[in-house]
Amino acid sequence: MARIFVAFLRLGATSFGGGTAGWLYREMVLKRRWIDDRSFLAMLGLGQAMPGSNGIKLTVLIGQNLHGAAGAAVALIGLLMAPFAIVLAVGAAYASVGQHGLVHAMLDGVAAAVIGLTFATGLRSIAQGTPGPAAIVIAAATVLGVGVLRWPMLPVVAALAPLSIALALLKARRR
Amino acid sequence: MREGSTDSLVALAVVFAPLSLLSFGGGNAVLADIAHQAITVHGWTSEREFADLFALSRAAPGPGSMLATLIGWKAAGIPGALIATIAFYLPSALLVFGAARVWGRWRGSPWHDAVERGVAPIAAGLFLSGGLVVLRASPAGWPVWAAAIVTTAALLRWPGLHPVPLLLGGAALFGLLAAGGT
Repeated sequence: MARIFVAFLRLGATSFGGGTAGWLYREMVLKRRWIDDRSFLAMLGLGQAMPGSNGIKLTVLIGQNLHGAAGAAVALIGLLMAPFAIVLAVGAAYASVGQHGLVHAMLDGVAAAVIGLTFATGLRSIAQGTPGPAAIVIAAATVLGVGVLRWPMLPVVAALAPLSIALALLKARRR
Repeated sequence: MREGSTDSLVALAVVFAPLSLLSFGGGNAVLADIAHQAITVHGWTSEREFADLFALSRAAPGPGSMLATLIGWKAAGIPGALIATIAFYLPSALLVFGAARVWGRWRGSPWHDAVERGVAPIAAGLFLSGGLVVLRASPAGWPVWAAAIVTTAALLRWPGLHPVPLLLGGAALFGLLAAGGT
């Protein structure tokens, strides 16, 4: 248990730039060999169909796999503890120097790069999924509603999700 | 930073817990709604602060969106940070924990497949929306748009690019531009 905690604590403290799933793969599968490739991919697939941050879901599943409910809890707390403290320290630093124009400018630069990462992920997942016209229309409708018109997300998703799932079912049946 | 009144702690939990269960495809999927709630509905941050906190949450290590932690902290101090973090992560963690037991049985059924396929384009749309909303909230204007588009194109062309140099490069470039402009 202590080893699980330490492993996830270290991972949380060093996984810069998001993409926790990639870091987990490197650490848990390649380095420590606690989880084999096949189960890692199965967890990734299960996580994809569920809401929540991908790193969190994988952490819960790996922890559960290693040591049941307690393993999942310990892994999750370990993963979040260091980033929680670090992000608050960074936030406090920002509160004292954040009014400086240079800080704003540098943070704008970071944000631009992060947004690029976000866009690239979104576009690539459209291309990799089912690039049928239905999927593209659904994705475009989501962008129009939430991103451009700024409608609240809940009703938009509540309206589009059943439609999208029904379309996927129809398409599978037709084949 | 205001110290946490019970009201703002409850408001944080009410905002972040449902978003936790809606964040299909990752924390970024609900970025647009977090911005809407934090800036417009509750006034926890200004647009400028939101853009800065967003960047800070990504410059720090850790999973997905520690943005919830920072907004909670801004709204109600350390208790707010704790509440927002728990509200944003725990519901989806519990759900995936429970689902791990049930989901395996459904594998191979048409439902399993349809849900995965059906949710995917919405998740992608939410990702793009999140980026758009932060771009629009950023007061820096067209240079940020340009840099975001260049980064997107570069990442689509070379998917193996490591994010950390990109973040540092962005900070350095905009820092130099600002220093040169003043």
